[in-house]
Amino acid sequence: MAIWHRFLGGLRALMHRTRTEQDMDEELRAFLDASTERRMRAGMPEAQARRAARVEMGSVESVKEEIRGAAWETAIEALWTDVRYSVRILIKAPVFTAVVVFTLALGIGANTAIFSLIDSLLLKTLPVEKPEELAQVYESGLTNPLWEQIRDRQDVFSGAFAWGSDLFNLAQGGIVQNADGFWVSGDLFRTLGLHPAAGRLLTVDDDRRGCAALAVLSYAFWQTHDGGAASAVGSTLSLDGHPFEVIGVAPRGFYGVSVGGKFDVALPLCAAAVLDGPRTRLDRRSSWWLRAAGRVKPGIGPAQLKARLGALSPTIFEAALPQDWDPKSQDNFRKRVLKPAPMATGLSGLREEYEQPLRILMAVVGLVLLIACANIASLLMARAAARGKEMAMRQALGASRLRLMRQLIVECVLLSFAGAAFGLLLARWGDKLLAISLSTVNHQVFFDFALDGRVLAFTAAIATFTGLLFGVAPALLGTRTSLTSAIKANHGGAGGPRTRLRLWIVASQVALSLVLLVAAGLLLRTFRNLATADIGFDPDRVLLVNVNMFTAKVPPADFTGTYRRIADELRALPGVVSSARSQLTPLGDSTWNTIIHSDVPHAVVGEDDLVYFNQVDPAYFATLRTPLLAGRNFTSADSAHAPAVAVINQTLARTFFPAVNPIGHTYRAEGGGRKLDPPVEVVGVVTDAKYETVREGTLPTIFLPLSQGGDLPVESFEVRSALPPSVMVAEIQHAVAAVNREIPIEVHTLSAQVEQSLTRERVLALLSAFFGAVALLLATIGLYGTLTYLVAQRRTEFGIRMALGATSRSILQLVMRDVAMLLSVGIAAGIAMSLATTQLLGALLFGVAARDPLTMAAGGTLMAAVSLTAGLLAARRATRIDPMVALRQD
Amino acid sequence: MPEKTGALVQGTLDMLILKTLALEPMHGYGIAQRIEQISQGVFSVNPGSLFPAFRRLEREAWIKAMWKPTDNNRRAKYYALTARGRKQLQSEADTWGRQSAAIARILEAC
Repeated sequence: MAIWHRFLGGLRALMHRTRTEQDMDEELRAFLDASTERRMRAGMPEAQARRAARVEMGSVESVKEEIRGAAWETAIEALWTDVRYSVRILIKAPVFTAVVVFTLALGIGANTAIFSLIDSLLLKTLPVEKPEELAQVYESGLTNPLWEQIRDRQDVFSGAFAWGSDLFNLAQGGIVQNADGFWVSGDLFRTLGLHPAAGRLLTVDDDRRGCAALAVLSYAFWQTHDGGAASAVGSTLSLDGHPFEVIGVAPRGFYGVSVGGKFDVALPLCAAAVLDGPRTRLDRRSSWWLRAAGRVKPGIGPAQLKARLGALSPTIFEAALPQDWDPKSQDNFRKRVLKPAPMATGLSGLREEYEQPLRILMAVVGLVLLIACANIASLLMARAAARGKEMAMRQALGASRLRLMRQLIVECVLLSFAGAAFGLLLARWGDKLLAISLSTVNHQVFFDFALDGRVLAFTAAIATFTGLLFGVAPALLGTRTSLTSAIKANHGGAGGPRTRLRLWIVASQVALSLVLLVAAGLLLRTFRNLATADIGFDPDRVLLVNVNMFTAKVPPADFTGTYRRIADELRALPGVVSSARSQLTPLGDSTWNTIIHSDVPHAVVGEDDLVYFNQVDPAYFATLRTPLLAGRNFTSADSAHAPAVAVINQTLARTFFPAVNPIGHTYRAEGGGRKLDPPVEVVGVVTDAKYETVREGTLPTIFLPLSQGGDLPVESFEVRSALPPSVMVAEIQHAVAAVNREIPIEVHTLSAQVEQSLTRERVLALLSAFFGAVALLLATIGLYGTLTYLVAQRRTEFGIRMALGATSRSILQLVMRDVAMLLSVGIAAGIAMSLATTQLLGALLFGVAARDPLTMAAGGTLMAAVSLTAGLLAARRATRIDPMVALRQD
Repeated sequence: MPEKTGALVQGTLDMLILKTLALEPMHGYGIAQRIEQISQGVFSVNPGSLFPAFRRLEREAWIKAMWKPTDNNRRAKYYALTARGRKQLQSEADTWGRQSAAIARILEAC
């Protein structure tokens, strides 16, 4: 109530300013009159009485100021005055303003960019109805039979849904054009409370076995693919060569439930049968392509939800038991328990991989902003010294120190908000760039960067904070002027508080920049170690051509023949050096592993000791340039009727055939039901090569001949050419089309596939190097600026010294002694901080220790070299002082 | 300086004004006179602190202002206590009484 009164009263006063002022004048005049009258009644003459009354009251203006000060609206008015004054001051110094705003835009922009990535990946809730009510049912993948059991038996969700992601080929033959596919169970859209942007969404009735081929488009895909035309609803879309009818468009802003990805086309689960044919994944009990979640019924708490799902688990898992598993694995399967997990923020495979790097980057950009703030504070202090007369004048005219400080801080907050506005633009651009650089040939990373309140609040908070951070110290020091000294315009010694503070600021900048340089050095070396790691094959100028017989509806009996004809066409292309064929490609997306038993007794066997497989043709090793170390390569004699043979890598030879020559030895792999397959003879050993990622220690690998394993519906050709890959793509497309126009092909370079396994490291190394460089630049500018200022301050002193016979060399030494002291303190502190913090990089590093002395030394040397140069440049100004000019100035 | 209200204890001016107005509505000079008279010249109230106090009390809705003719037929701004102000005065007087009694006891004890 009281607050309300105060607020209304203030508002009224603001709106009727003249009346309030008149009232005040009149009231004070009445007071004076009454006071005068009383004195006259006591016998004083009128003139004297009036004078005494005035003396008693003091300055009428200052009384009025007091009255105004008793109300809050005056503070607003004063603030507004300060803002207008500050804007005028800043406009008058355009270079200063531009430099500060640009520095801040860089600092705040970097912080906003990283924060909005964190926001998108970790904090933002799904754009659906009441996302906090959603819970995931099981932490990992589910099969469709399991999902059907959950759907039919659960009684804790008001709606349950399952989903999966996939890629669908939009093109009919030729180069594959992938669309991001989103498998959805019938109740997904209803449970999430989504409404169509056009047409209708999928319902439970659309998701029944034997369903029609229906599709819902995402809003973004509708816009780019169909230009947002209403006619898109009812049109037909070809997915993997099957026609699907588009029935509607999902709402704008809904990109699926996986964060970091998006969908283009949503299909009902039942439509998997349309793509798969009779042996559909809908019935497979070992095909883990789904995830499930639900909206928890009101009144059911987390504990109750967990207990109920736990109680249902045995029945559900029993009913969906994979029949072909061995009894032990089946037992383990029966013991699995459904465990709910909140999913208000959606799910993301990127979280695990990027959470720590993002936290580190947040720290890095925080430091960059801190260094930028230090530069600005230093700049402001120099400016404050220049504005000493202005401040003294304003104080002399009656402004209180608090008032002056307030105005100076308003100036800083204005600067930082201008910086933040540009920073926001920079951040949006940077985020788009980041999302692109995180994307790989096989995974498009997508984030919804629509501005949300959290990011705006973060930016506003950081802008205010930085404004205060770099503003307070200069405001404190800048207003501590004495009128006389300011008007006398003395140059002061080099030891004033302002100067000392600036030196400390520079030293801390050096220290912080060094930490960033060391971190950047470690991450760059990690990337270099990985990029130059021996991967066991030569990816240069090798194209991977993935062909799909299944989509082209080639009968299985013709697979081998078709592959052979494609191989012949490819080899005949001009520029092709050699061409090979394999089931999997190195560092590709898929792996194939199982347990083997070698005929040599050895220590390792069991589930921890998986062996990785690939099926290849005889040209594979030569094409990838993986040298054969012992034994022989596959030949055309290794047919389906010949004895089973294998080529192994060094790691497998070492671990499974220790201390023997593996050639001629055999192993048996565990097949379905843990039964051992027939023995396979090792005929050759090849050099170790990376299988899944560059980071891995080499995995024990077995290569089998394609001619013995039987061809698969999807295989890849490795084509090594003498010509640049870009020239080859069209040729390859024609070659495959010459065999069968229906076959969809995907082409990318093996180098791109190698690089994609280093995406995280590359992005992290690039960003940290960039920010390290920015920090170094800022620190150097800070050092140069401060020294230049110091030298200018000591002009008179240097002039006198020179007049007394000091050489420019000794003057230089004088200045550089300070610089050296400053640098050694900064660098020592920086090394100490690096030693204390680089451990945080921990698992992100590869082939370099967190406290690697070489990196620390290199960082320190770089810092010292750059800043000594900057120092020398600034110090040389001291030697150019003309003693006559310097002395005459005062 | 206007801040220093003679020997007036910080925060007591508001209470004194409310107490003065509890008898009858008065204008600014009248209030200042009354406080000075009743305190037998111990407290002299400076306009520089008196008028801001009026503004403050008005905003709290403890007093309200109106323009009225004075005894010698001039216009002056009269202040009157509101119901809320009366309540406030009561609670401030109670607090004051308790505190001054306590202080007196402490001073006697030492």
